[in-house]
Amino acid sequence: MTQAYLEFHGVTKRFGDLDVVAQPFDIAVARNEFVVFLGPSGCGKTTLMRMIGGLDTPSGGEISLEGTPVGGPDHRRGMVFQSYSSFPWLTVAENVLFGMRYRKDLTEREKLARRDHYLDLVGLYEFSNAYPNKVSGGMRQRVAIARTLAAGSDVMLMDEPFGALDAQRREKLQVELRAIQRRDAKTIVFVTHDVEEAVFLADRVIVFSKRPARIMADIDITERLGAERPLDLRDTPEFFQLRTAVLRLLREAAGDEAGDEK
Amino acid sequence: MTQEVAGRVVTGRVVTTRRAVNRNQPSIWAFRGALSRRAQIGIGVGTSVALLLIWEAVARSGLVNTTFLPSPTTVLGALLTMIQKQSLLWHAGVSTLRVWIAFTLAAVMAIPIGIMMSSYRVVGAALEPIIDFIRYLPVPALVPLSIIWFGVGENTKLYLLWLGTFFQLVLLVADDMRRVPQEYIEIAHTLGANTRQTLRDVAFRAMLPGLVDNLRITLGWCWTYLIIAEIVAADSGIGFVIWTARRYMKTPEVMAGVVVIGVIGLVTDQLLRALHRRAFRYL
Ligand SMILES: Nc1ncnc2c1ncn2[C@@H]1O[C@H](COP(=O)(O)OP(=O)(O)OP(=O)(O)O)[C@@H](O)[C@H]1O
Ligand SMILES: [Mg+2]
Repeated sequence: MTQAYLEFHGVTKRFGDLDVVAQPFDIAVARNEFVVFLGPSGCGKTTLMRMIGGLDTPSGGEISLEGTPVGGPDHRRGMVFQSYSSFPWLTVAENVLFGMRYRKDLTEREKLARRDHYLDLVGLYEFSNAYPNKVSGGMRQRVAIARTLAAGSDVMLMDEPFGALDAQRREKLQVELRAIQRRDAKTIVFVTHDVEEAVFLADRVIVFSKRPARIMADIDITERLGAERPLDLRDTPEFFQLRTAVLRLLREAAGDEAGDEK
Repeated sequence: MTQEVAGRVVTGRVVTTRRAVNRNQPSIWAFRGALSRRAQIGIGVGTSVALLLIWEAVARSGLVNTTFLPSPTTVLGALLTMIQKQSLLWHAGVSTLRVWIAFTLAAVMAIPIGIMMSSYRVVGAALEPIIDFIRYLPVPALVPLSIIWFGVGENTKLYLLWLGTFFQLVLLVADDMRRVPQEYIEIAHTLGANTRQTLRDVAFRAMLPGLVDNLRITLGWCWTYLIIAEIVAADSGIGFVIWTARRYMKTPEVMAGVVVIGVIGLVTDQLLRALHRRAFRYL
């Protein structure tokens, strides 16, 4: 394992008397690693992401980034929320631009260029001037994705970011996200319920049990599939086998009673 | 007319596709259905005119004593004479000025305090009991006290108006701020905004439509208190005019005064609504 960048040391979490993470919990994520969390609904994935982002604090243990414990939220850890919120008073383009509002290292011109680039990437360029409540749910989700990508944090926390997208857009963004992560050396923690997406994107897939969450499996994908992820990787037998194996693990994690609390 | 109807259907289809699916001409009684702006104004004016006509008819029929219920035309006549002979418009101006001074004062104080109450639990915990207590005191009950404190001059009136609006407004503002989704705040924080930036660029912006609405509503209450204040202690203003007219049983003049207040209220309200629509197009 390479040098740890983002680390969980004996982390536990409870809300009142609800144990979300009971057994102390260690994960070490390397810089520039793409980690995907898989697990049954309600097992605590969002809670883990929020703790990394500094929006929730662990009840025990500690999360550290580059050796120092993470405090409150800051620009180093960007987040795509599960509910894809954007600001209703800003247009689509202004929302994306807002992602860079507090970055002092970019000139105004660079910000506009980045805004246009990411708007184009998520296919919203022609909706630049629309307000969020006038566009569809999937489009709102893309606004949130573009905003976080434009913000360009070192660590990106993405909670089911591609959930409401159509298949083509989803594939396109998966390929692009993987490319961005490799090119710009981002560390990404990504939550999804889609096993295929998990295997396609991840360097490493971590499978959680249902609540209270335990790590059921920690699978090195890059070791098996390599770091390059062309779209036709999906058609290879290796990919298919790995996908099936992860799916089986996930089924075990969810327990026999299929554990989905939704 | 047919053209108009067709036009409406087409726009309806563009805005909300769902509605136009199997009804080409939506009934005006459709539950939560749409109604064009023109139709709304037409219906509003229609009902008002109808009511005035009924009133006029009743007053003229001799069924009621016109000392108690003068006809609309009589009231209108009184209104015109009052404008010419009793400088009614000047009185209206004085009243409006009082309302705006007191209201601005209340708003300028209530907005920051209300925001602080919701942003910092300590501030909320400290102020809420006091504000809640004062809020429930009826303004008329405080008239004697304010006369003792401020005499019967301009200050008493401003103070009473301020009293009536400030405490209500503070809680409304605090509520507007509380309703700003936590997620907006969290987005701002993860984008690197500090507390001040989050308040200014996100929280305040998010609460603004609600705030403007609440200001509009409290401005209306301010007028209620104004009349109380002017009846108690004044030698100018609409309240004073009404109260003087009452003393001589000049019902048409009393009603004319009331009408002036109504008209000012209506106009202000519509202006603020228009402003709201313009400023918050995204809603
Ligand atoms: N603020 C909170 N207070 C109390 N309980 C909470 C809070 N946030 C989350 N929980 C609980 O913690 C558990 C884990 O929630 P979390 O949102 O992390 O699940 P998840 O794995 O993201 O689920 P999903 O896949 O459905 O998004 C749930 O049982 C939830 O009810
Ligand atoms: Mg979740």
